[in-house]
Amino acid sequence: MAGSGTAHMRNTVDSVLTVRDLTVEFRVGNNKTVKAVSGLSLDVVKGETLAIVGESGCGKTTLVRAILQLPPPNSGEVIFDGTDLTLLPKENLRSARTSMQMIFQDPISSLNPRMTVHQLLDEPLEIWDRGTRAERDERINKLLFSVGLEPDLVLNRRSYEFSGGQCQRISIARALALDPRMLICDEPVSALDVSIQAQILNLLLFMKETHGLTMLFISHDLAVVKAISTRVMVMYLGKICEVAPPDVLYSNPAHHYTRALLNSVPIPDPTKQIRTELLQGEPPSPMNPPSGCRFRTRCVGASALCAEQEPQLREVSPGQFVACHHPIV
Amino acid sequence: MFNNSKFTKPTWLSISWLGLMLFLAVFGSLLPFKSWKFVYEDDLGVVPFSPGHILGTDNNGYDLLASLIAGTRMSIFIAVTAVSLGGLIGSALGITAAFVRGKVDTVMSTLFNVGLAVPNLVLALALVSVLATNVDINQSVPTWRRVMVLIVSLTIVLIPILGRIARGATLSWSGRDFVTAARSMGMRDRQIIMKHIVPNVLPALIAVAFLAVGVVIIAEASLSILGVGIPDGASWGGMIARGRNDLEYSPHVLYIPVIFLAITVISTNQIGEVLRSKLDSREAKV
Amino acid sequence: MSSLMSIKNMSVNFDTPGGSLEAVRGVDIEIPAGMSVGVVGESGSGKTVMCRAAMGLLQGSTVNRTGTVIFDGHELTAMSKEQVRELFGSGMAMIFQDPLTALNPVRRIGAQLSEGLRIRLGMSKSDAMARSKELLELVRIPNAAAVLKSFPYQLSGGMRQRVMIAIAIACNPKLLFADEPTTALDVTVQAQILQLLRELREDLNMSMVLVTHDLGVVAGNTDYVAVMYAGEVVEYAPTKKLFADMRMPYTEALLDSIPRVDHKSGTRLSVIAGRLPDPTHRPAGCGFAPRCKYAQDKCTTDHPELKTDPDGHVYRCWFPIGEAL
Repeated sequence: MAGSGTAHMRNTVDSVLTVRDLTVEFRVGNNKTVKAVSGLSLDVVKGETLAIVGESGCGKTTLVRAILQLPPPNSGEVIFDGTDLTLLPKENLRSARTSMQMIFQDPISSLNPRMTVHQLLDEPLEIWDRGTRAERDERINKLLFSVGLEPDLVLNRRSYEFSGGQCQRISIARALALDPRMLICDEPVSALDVSIQAQILNLLLFMKETHGLTMLFISHDLAVVKAISTRVMVMYLGKICEVAPPDVLYSNPAHHYTRALLNSVPIPDPTKQIRTELLQGEPPSPMNPPSGCRFRTRCVGASALCAEQEPQLREVSPGQFVACHHPIV
Repeated sequence: MFNNSKFTKPTWLSISWLGLMLFLAVFGSLLPFKSWKFVYEDDLGVVPFSPGHILGTDNNGYDLLASLIAGTRMSIFIAVTAVSLGGLIGSALGITAAFVRGKVDTVMSTLFNVGLAVPNLVLALALVSVLATNVDINQSVPTWRRVMVLIVSLTIVLIPILGRIARGATLSWSGRDFVTAARSMGMRDRQIIMKHIVPNVLPALIAVAFLAVGVVIIAEASLSILGVGIPDGASWGGMIARGRNDLEYSPHVLYIPVIFLAITVISTNQIGEVLRSKLDSREAKV
Repeated sequence: MSSLMSIKNMSVNFDTPGGSLEAVRGVDIEIPAGMSVGVVGESGSGKTVMCRAAMGLLQGSTVNRTGTVIFDGHELTAMSKEQVRELFGSGMAMIFQDPLTALNPVRRIGAQLSEGLRIRLGMSKSDAMARSKELLELVRIPNAAAVLKSFPYQLSGGMRQRVMIAIAIACNPKLLFADEPTTALDVTVQAQILQLLRELREDLNMSMVLVTHDLGVVAGNTDYVAVMYAGEVVEYAPTKKLFADMRMPYTEALLDSIPRVDHKSGTRLSVIAGRLPDPTHRPAGCGFAPRCKYAQDKCTTDHPELKTDPDGHVYRCWFPIGEAL
């Protein structure tokens, strides 16, 4: 694409989150503008896990921060539970945010090193005055149990006494403390060892089922995304390339970028090595993205049309939407 | 911060020395000494370790130990007050600037940089000579007024130094994910600053504050030598200034306060340094 | 097949305030000439320490290394630091995970690249510059002349890693140690760098030790694999053989726990419970026993010996997979 369009929007009443035409730009130095996210739309339906995949600099983290209004986007709508967050006054936004909680990549940076686990988990409950001291303590214990930690052993310890995986469990417990409707995970397992990754991914899947959560899951790791998502959105330079259910996307990618990305993933099986169509070069600067389709400069299927006209998302097979003039069939 | 680590000998010595100084500053007046202003008319310029005068007397007959104890009170009072005020105001400005960012930060940083560009002794000198001198040169300025002006001018000098450190530390801490997490759970900015930023910025600030105490003690002494410090030798700087005149006949009158001052400054630097390296290693672990 | 480097019974201990920390113990590995050997393990498994110790890069009074390391006929463990250093560049070279910290930020790429050539090979300034440009072209850097004049911060992560590779191969080393060379890079750039390393190895007939946590990277880029766990090599075999016929339960568990693009979506991952044993208090038996689904009583009491199958497949397990109890 990477292009624009809204063909992939489902517009159902079940939508928990609807983002329309979201644009985020940063001014840097001498009147240059980084176009981090450009006119992007998406919707997340109740109970699904939408994964946003892309390489560093594609705008995926900026996108979720803008959804949380941290900071707010330059333009566009972010409708969560029927309310447009971009129009909310600060005080209402404060309470609206509690239904969307976030889990971060760096387990250490996401926990204040001066606070004990008890203080960390009590904090959200305290802010919103949820229950008496005894009720809150009981809730904290339950939360810790549910993420597989023994409350008596961890309550009075601080984040630096834990391993990355344990810190991530504490973060998950904290995120669930306010009973959010949606969990936003920003590369939650990228900093963890492979054997710990599986523990945390399974925990997230379990939590999602037991709490009926809707998830937005950002990752650069296509294998992780495949394990956890129910819908995948591929981003390149601030725009959408392709949206599809994981099995369709991974077996029949329609966008040239999706295919190149998939071919780059190392497969732990010496007999299944793909070495064709590796992407060459590196993405152009988001300060000066290419005209038309933003991927055309590295695309094997690019034509003159791709430079002139921006492709719009369209459905190429049931549930699979691609923004490409010459999709792979 | 102090657990699970042993201090080296120099650190213990520094802690003990500062403890002693603090004790003298607080309880010095309760000790069974005659007032430092008492003139031993029969004992002028007595050398140290003489009976009745452990550190000797100066050429005016003032007992040096009594003077030192009184000076400790003044010097420590000025240093601690100036550093506390400077730290409080500086960190309030620095933390706010770094947290709010944008124009506030630009303005504040510029002010800090301007403040740092002014040589601090010159600034203090100018303030003291404007605010703490009488139009009528025959009327002496009350000591308390001199002290106040001295504290104010030293505080002004310290604000940009400590403010910049608070700003830098805040910038690095406010970028951490736990601040974003606190926001997303609906915390107000003021709570975030008090609960998440201040406790993390404070240790760095305290470490620097120790170094600043040393700087202030020296600055106060320098001002005394330049003739705008505390009059009558009621501080270490004042004693040094006065001892200068007796250098030829009673060198100990100069050396003893200099030694006291030097050991104190070395001690604050040592502790500041230890705190800072502890902090660095802790942060590396975090 | 001749062996280029052979590590025999090498152990590395660090003296720490909390006692002696055994980072690597009893490692035996042969690195065949011209081959690529993967060293795979999780963080704390000792893979990086093992490689640095083998190269003689770990120094200081708190490090104790025992055992022998023979490289290309030289017994490194019997040589002085100076003598080992002579072998760097033309014998052994290294690339790192983070090329930004390995490059001097205030010097131009050309200066950093040509310096080694002038010192090592005694080239003149202009010859060294010309050769530097060739090297950058060799690592497929477009517009090499411009890159020679740039500073590290002006290059992307992928480009910096290419520059590091150019510096490493400048003196035609026989053995390249690559320590997580692509971990900090995006997948598409990782694929490019791995491809470059494969091609360079072929062109320069260079052996490589590829340290990584990623079994996928190992599968496609190595001829042999050593799996490390808790400071020990627990399995060593030709790559194809290892993936086709795993003997060590840890390797199997590790492979089962990683999400894969070639599996159906929503597949539950199997989990390795627990975590690595404390390196200051190694358990008496097998280090993996508490986490192993096949563990027997013997595993917790007796430390398993290295066993070798007739086909050269080495593993450290009392009850290897595929063997009836």
